[in-house]
Amino acid sequence: MRIPCEWLNEFVVLDIDPRDLAMKLTMRGFEVEAVEEYRPAFDGVCVGQIMTIDPHPNAGNLTVCQVSTGLETLPIVCGAKNVRVGDKVPVALVGARLAEGFLIEKKSIRGVESPGMLCSERELGLSDDHSGIFIIPEDVAVGSRLAEMKGLNDFVLDISVPPNRGDCLSVLGIAREVGSILNQRAKLPIFKLDTSDSESVEDQISLSIANTEACPRYVLRMIKGISIGPSPFWMRNRIQKCGMRPINAIVDVTNYVMLELGQPLHAFDYHALADKRIEVRVADSDSVFKTLDGEDRKLVAGDIMICDGSGPVAIAGIMGGENSEITDSTRDIALESAFFNPLTIRETARRLGIRSEASLRFEKGVDGDNVDFAAERAVFLMNGIAGGTVLKGKREIYERGIGKTIFVSFAKIIDILGVPIEHSGIISALRSVDLHILREEENGFVVSIPGFRHDLEEYMDIIEEVARIYGYDHVPATTPGGAQQVQKRNRKEVYLRGMKEYLASCGFYELVNFAFFNLKDIENFRIAPSDPRSSCVPIMNPIGKDYEVMRTFIAANVLKSIAYNLNRGAKNIRFFEMGKIFFLDGSSLPVEYPSVCFAMTGREREYFWRDPCPEYDFFDIKGVVEGLMDQFGVQTSVTRSSEEFLNRNRAADVLVGDVKIGWMGEIRDEVLRSYGIEQAVYCAELRTDLIAQHGSVDAKYRPIPRFPQVTRDFAFYMDEKTPVGAIIDRIKGVSPLITAVGVFDMFKKETKSIALRVVFQSFEETLTDETVNALQEIIIREATSVQGVMLRT
Amino acid sequence: MMGETLNIDDLRNRIENEISVLKTLEDLKRVKATILGRKGVFAEFLDALKLLDKDQKRVFGKELNILKVSTEARFNEIEAALMEEERAKQEELTWVDITMPGKVPLLGKRHPITQTFEEIIRVFSSLGFAVAEGPDIELDYYNFEALNIPKHHPARDMQDTFYIKPGVVLRTHTSPVQIRVMEAQLPPVKIISPGSVYRCDHDVSHTPMFHQVEGLMVDKHVRFSDLKGILSVFIQEIFGANTRLRFRPSYFPFTEPSAEVDIGCVICEGAGCRVCKDTGWLEILGSGMVHPQVLRNVGYDPEEVSGFAFGMGVERIAMLKFGIDDIRQFYYNDIRFLSQF
Repeated sequence: MRIPCEWLNEFVVLDIDPRDLAMKLTMRGFEVEAVEEYRPAFDGVCVGQIMTIDPHPNAGNLTVCQVSTGLETLPIVCGAKNVRVGDKVPVALVGARLAEGFLIEKKSIRGVESPGMLCSERELGLSDDHSGIFIIPEDVAVGSRLAEMKGLNDFVLDISVPPNRGDCLSVLGIAREVGSILNQRAKLPIFKLDTSDSESVEDQISLSIANTEACPRYVLRMIKGISIGPSPFWMRNRIQKCGMRPINAIVDVTNYVMLELGQPLHAFDYHALADKRIEVRVADSDSVFKTLDGEDRKLVAGDIMICDGSGPVAIAGIMGGENSEITDSTRDIALESAFFNPLTIRETARRLGIRSEASLRFEKGVDGDNVDFAAERAVFLMNGIAGGTVLKGKREIYERGIGKTIFVSFAKIIDILGVPIEHSGIISALRSVDLHILREEENGFVVSIPGFRHDLEEYMDIIEEVARIYGYDHVPATTPGGAQQVQKRNRKEVYLRGMKEYLASCGFYELVNFAFFNLKDIENFRIAPSDPRSSCVPIMNPIGKDYEVMRTFIAANVLKSIAYNLNRGAKNIRFFEMGKIFFLDGSSLPVEYPSVCFAMTGREREYFWRDPCPEYDFFDIKGVVEGLMDQFGVQTSVTRSSEEFLNRNRAADVLVGDVKIGWMGEIRDEVLRSYGIEQAVYCAELRTDLIAQHGSVDAKYRPIPRFPQVTRDFAFYMDEKTPVGAIIDRIKGVSPLITAVGVFDMFKKETKSIALRVVFQSFEETLTDETVNALQEIIIREATSVQGVMLRT
Repeated sequence: MMGETLNIDDLRNRIENEISVLKTLEDLKRVKATILGRKGVFAEFLDALKLLDKDQKRVFGKELNILKVSTEARFNEIEAALMEEERAKQEELTWVDITMPGKVPLLGKRHPITQTFEEIIRVFSSLGFAVAEGPDIELDYYNFEALNIPKHHPARDMQDTFYIKPGVVLRTHTSPVQIRVMEAQLPPVKIISPGSVYRCDHDVSHTPMFHQVEGLMVDKHVRFSDLKGILSVFIQEIFGANTRLRFRPSYFPFTEPSAEVDIGCVICEGAGCRVCKDTGWLEILGSGMVHPQVLRNVGYDPEEVSGFAFGMGVERIAMLKFGIDDIRQFYYNDIRFLSQF
């Protein structure tokens, strides 16, 4: 809400710097986002008065005006037709500067010397109006500097009004808060309607309300015989500063009163109303209605309609109809001021996609007590600007609610805020924002809630008001009482953190991607429709195709991040990402699992002068997986993977027992190409919850053996595709004394050859050659019992 | 041997000649043997000495002994010099150019969002808050209704929500975790809930997914002043002990009274800049006393217990801490960005 200080000043005396006021409003919960300074764009322009108007001797379309500036009378050549003798006009004297830097010089126009110029609003930078000379309000003194005119020097506060404070979407509402800050009371505008010898509204129009729940208060006032023209400068100036556009006197007055008092108004052309009657009712079936912007609007049962004798003339609180709209020929007006049910207005406005200044206020609830005052204010202003006669009285239906009251205990206020405020301080704080104490009871008080405060519903709301006015700054910072509890360690948290630390220490950078992906990713990864990873959770209103479903695995997003970086010059990448994956499920909520994905492409480093830097291969990614499992004490095994997105020769599923907890391998070229990647990528993705379930982060000490270990090396010939893992498993099974079996060489001449190093360790004794030799025999027997394995001697 | 052949001077010269051509330790060894060895020159002389008469023996014997001692010393001297020469020669082979680049261990980094999360969690853990989590895909009830944001409530103006299906949303904040925790246990409750949240917004200053940490404390006699105390400690831990902060009234449907917490701008230190829009203050988190309706919704009695809640955007805090000016940087995942933290 934009509030001109000059306007605000009519309600409260602003004896404070606007910037200080802005700070104080902010600390009251009305954040002032900007303080805009308004200064005239011109200099050296004074107020003159037209004394005579004579035709220009040499030009039929020009006139020569004798203009008094108080000190002297100057003959000024003028081309505009709107000036009359006696009008006050802006006189730009020689040397004056107009908007956009235009300088006034002494000039002869068609043979007549003109020592200045009369200006339009546009030339002064006041508005876009260039239709004629700016006629200055009569109360401005001749000879005064125009730059000092009211409204031209101003500060506008751009205030972010909290959504529950609809009452402050008006100058009056903000004035109430400012009044409380400055220890003043906001003054309502004072005016007197002159209806002494006019007709009565009651004789002109009838009013009925079918459903007072939808519309508890409705007022009609009338004015007849007006002439529609532009509104005066001061009004347009204020409307513009509030960010709205002036239209004509009648529309401007309705907007002006809305900005001033917070009550939206609607003006009907009286003669367009069939049977001269207004009925407020709730639509009971669907219909189509043409609003004044020319659009056909679909209405449904439940919308509040304003109808005349033949049908709807307005969608209550949202927009009027084309059929009863004010036109340039409108002379008589029926003016509506009402309170409509906020929820209904909100629902209708939302469905129709119309968010007008009026609906914005109605849906937050207007001040039911202020409905008629706003109507009176509007017909008074219309009368002053557009002439005509204000009709006597009004039509009104007012279903008065019971005044809302709230009980609050003093003890609760102090207990909640943690600050000992005096009872009298509490009461005067509340009083300053029009919350009056109906009665004090033994341990508290009952406060009555004014009609404009729809946000106050229970004691906590009142406590907030006390805190707000007392000032949050004055509340001390304390330490919560009660026994300190030691919080349990979150096991999942420990795992996630541990994995991140492990992977970062392995040289992987962590990614954070959005948890969405594209159905195209499912296709790219060749996930079968029967695979649960095809059961994506869809988003009803996705932000784009790339984010249309929740991801069911992370690898696709990791590949996108790799592609992004390869395209920007990176060659060697290690990335990991940890996050949730989502699956459709029969129950009301989809299931979510935590997952970790890591990938490597290129080589460890581009070059190192001393060492060769081989490209990554399967055993690099496998090593990271093995290290991770080791870190968390999970016993895993591998099996050839049938994942379609992996190179089948370099793909493994990772198992705990029989349960697959993830996969690792080389991503297939075709998959990589669909992400624009042209170099090999080794990748793994594992379910972190399953790792946590089978693992342990609690380190347990094992005694360090006191006896020396013995190592023996073995070499075997073997068939190309016999898994070394099978040999190792056999060897490990030979004796508990065998604590490690490593592969220290593998090469192929005619036959594949493998070299293993076996470590023997006893915790009880020093192993003798005899013992080890005996085991060695068994090892050879066991290893060679694997199909295609022979001892190399 | 003849007496006249026992010429000490000859012997001295001979030794000098032999020594003067010594180049290596091997030479030394060999020459030493020929001179001082069992069958060396001195041994020969000693044998010859036995043939001399008593007087001659004494004179020659003395001279010979002096020469022998000095020769031995000489050899030791030369040996030490040669060994030093040899050591230096060996050492020379180990010379490296210390200006050649070293092999830097490969080390990755955790994402700045993760680092910020951990920092926040660390501070609140030390204040006795436990970490609680909940689903990203949430029932409308937990995300809105239970938090006092009924359908059509104006507060829904503030957020545009991703819907999975009617009644199921991507959570727009981590507050639903508070409800789930309170439903599952009785007070006292003292938790923080970190996690991903989602809103339909994607522009220069918004991403459709971002991260929050929210906190909740409910117990007997929890006061607004306690909220100020806890958050003051937190902010000064994160942004430094000299950080100015202010609490100002705000509106959230699930807290009452509600407070927005601002810190003195960390960029301009209050002088006014683009980041703080010339106000000198930065909004850093939202907070307030838990609305009594929220307590009632989970079956707590607001007459018996009270509490406070707060929530903050992790990206916002990371941006201020690291001086990042574009929230989208977090999600481009450019290595040149990730490697900076």
